Amino acid sequence: MTEKDFDVQAFARDINELLVLSTLRTGPKHGYQIGLDVETDSNGLFRFRHGTLYPILHRLEEEGLIRGSWSKAGGRRRKVYSLTGTGERHLSGETNRVQEIVSRLMHVLRRPGEAPA
Amino acid sequence: MNAGAPRVFAPVLREVERGLALPIPERLRILRELEFDLEELWGRLVSEGLSAEEAHRKALDALVPDTGTLGELDRLHTPLYKRLTRHLTPGRLMLAERSALVLATTSVLLAQGITLLRLNLLQDPSPFMWPVLVGGTLLFALGVTKVFQLWIKGDHAHPGRGLRTILGVSGLILTMGISGIILDLYRLSSILERTPELAGDLTSVWLVRDSALLSVAIILALAGGLFWFILSQWVAVVSGARRELLGLSLRVHSHLEDEDA
Repeated sequence: MTEKDFDVQAFARDINELLVLSTLRTGPKHGYQIGLDVETDSNGLFRFRHGTLYPILHRLEEEGLIRGSWSKAGGRRRKVYSLTGTGERHLSGETNRVQEIVSRLMHVLRRPGEAPA
Repeated sequence: MNAGAPRVFAPVLREVERGLALPIPERLRILRELEFDLEELWGRLVSEGLSAEEAHRKALDALVPDTGTLGELDRLHTPLYKRLTRHLTPGRLMLAERSALVLATTSVLLAQGITLLRLNLLQDPSPFMWPVLVGGTLLFALGVTKVFQLWIKGDHAHPGRGLRTILGVSGLILTMGISGIILDLYRLSSILERTPELAGDLTSVWLVRDSALLSVAIILALAGGLFWFILSQWVAVVSGARRELLGLSLRVHSHLEDEDA
């Protein structure tokens, strides 16, 4: 990864996507449950408000990283999302990338004045 | 789980729908997903001890997309045609669409003419054949425009608009065909009254001519009628789904949209 590759805004978006993907590792969930699990797992640090979860879910679905399917629950239709094989691989690769970014960031923060290795 | 919250979010869903410039089925999928989540969250908050009003407010705050999010959803679900043509100015786009329609209609008119010529049905046609063919071409243009508008362009502001015209033109074609035959028979009988010796020659020629007229009129009218039926069924299904979700019919919604405009 070079400095050119890194875009803070895109990174923030990627983090949101990774949070959604990671919560789907435990099994299929509907939209609100995904948001709730992300919030619970992060002790309230990450929270999707004003429906910001839906564009993320729909984008991931369009990219084939998750699969949305409709089912009936209590006579009502609901959309349930599950992680695809591509999504799992993507999550694994991106987790490594985030780890690298965070470690480089920490390196810079802890050793000011020195370039990261 | 929330039998106590039936359709309480319908006004909110209607508001959200107004912010989505997407095809109706796409809008409904988004709204249905949102409705389920809203009801789930509302039920959970109420079960945790919140009042119904407070739970309602919190659920809306957490899940209802704001303007920016609606814009993002719009961009994500924009039909392919709109994505491909978004660099064109509205004027250029309209010109291109109309040119394509004229080209397609002219092609169909030519194809109709060539087919009838090959079948020797235009050598000595009934004079009523021409308005029937013009009606068929108009019908094709209306049909192509509607299909293009609904399923390619994804413009669902007024899905039912133009359906009656299609049915009307189909009926008009059939009426022209039948009226043409009746008038042709009157003309034939008046000729035979004056020159009965031509009966042998003329009767067979006019029979073929009027059979062709009636066949073409019936085929075109049936095609138009079938197209109208399929389209109106689709509108009825979509309308039913919207009524179920939002408590509105398409007609009412169009009326509201007109008011907004």
